[in-house]
Amino acid sequence: MKTHELIDRLSAETALPALHPRSIGLQIVTVVGVVSALFLLIAGPRDELMQAMSKPVVLTKTVLPAVLCLVALALALRLTRPERDARVLPLLLPLGAATGLWIWSYASQPPAQRFADVSVPALAECMGLILLLSALPAALALRWLSRGATTSPRISGALVGLAVAAGVATGYSLFCVQDNPLFFVTWYGAAIVIVAGLCALAGGRVLRW
Amino acid sequence: MTTREDEWAALLRAAIAGDGRAYARFLHAVSPVLRGIVRARGSSLPPDHHEDIVQEVLIAIHAKRQTWDSAAPLLPWLYAITRYKIVDAFRRRGNRVHLPIEDFAESLETAIDDPTVAHDSEYLLGQLDPRSAGIVRAISLEGETAGAVGKRLGISEGAVRVALHRAMKRMAVHVRRDER
Repeated sequence: MKTHELIDRLSAETALPALHPRSIGLQIVTVVGVVSALFLLIAGPRDELMQAMSKPVVLTKTVLPAVLCLVALALALRLTRPERDARVLPLLLPLGAATGLWIWSYASQPPAQRFADVSVPALAECMGLILLLSALPAALALRWLSRGATTSPRISGALVGLAVAAGVATGYSLFCVQDNPLFFVTWYGAAIVIVAGLCALAGGRVLRW
Repeated sequence: MTTREDEWAALLRAAIAGDGRAYARFLHAVSPVLRGIVRARGSSLPPDHHEDIVQEVLIAIHAKRQTWDSAAPLLPWLYAITRYKIVDAFRRRGNRVHLPIEDFAESLETAIDDPTVAHDSEYLLGQLDPRSAGIVRAISLEGETAGAVGKRLGISEGAVRVALHRAMKRMAVHVRRDER
């Protein structure tokens, strides 16, 4: 086909609604919120949630993934415009805080208590549920993000995976009774990294254009 | 923002709102810029692949036109899409290409000096006789070689070049006249 024929064909197509990254962000937050709410409705939040949340460490278990979710989501949405470059530096804030909390917790606990909570059922429950609950929101988020035009599909995929898994971990933290930072930072973190890695791989295909 | 950018931005804005003619003008205007970049960087590829790549970039611009924020400058968006698709197209053909932003800016400058881009190319082609317009369209807009056009028209390659030169001169006269 000649180029002028192609242009004639392309220009005959009707108008397309403009991209609104914020509405994509709202859709992603909504689906993560709905999945987390359904989970909490079925499994129920932990006993005496409000009392537990008055402890800074327990509150951190919820706030830290929530901050990570919002930062990663903002960075992923930024990349829906092709002229925007990939930035990951703002992630250092929640990641640095998580690392600091882990180190502080390791240093302040007696050796016998550090990993006392680690057991196969606890790990399977924590990681398994975060991975499972992230599956649908991650798939939808990648699909919605493909309306944009990222020039870094893998980074976009990883960021949206990070946002979704961290968002799900925020909801899951209201159910989880493991309040040892060495447990939740490590295993929430591992689950979030797995989802981010899978979304990076998927992003390389789904977000390519 | 340059006058060129203003003009293209206005065309694309109208295009996104559903103005097909403005959209055609926009795509015609950016095509020589894309063609210039592909030719400059694609010397390792057969010339018949160049126009394929130009078309791939045009299709990408079309598919992702809604991602341009109409309140933002157009050129960074256009450059990003062009760069991404050209690098991708070269990679799929087994070639690597480095596409610095300077390349884009240079091609843009060249395009501004080109009368087929500086004004509505279809309008200018309409000022020529059909045979000359066909030669300009084939070589300057479609990327055909003078040899191929000559073969198609049954004239020598040299005669095609002469006809092209004369046609471009006539178009430049129209451009100057219109600017007065």
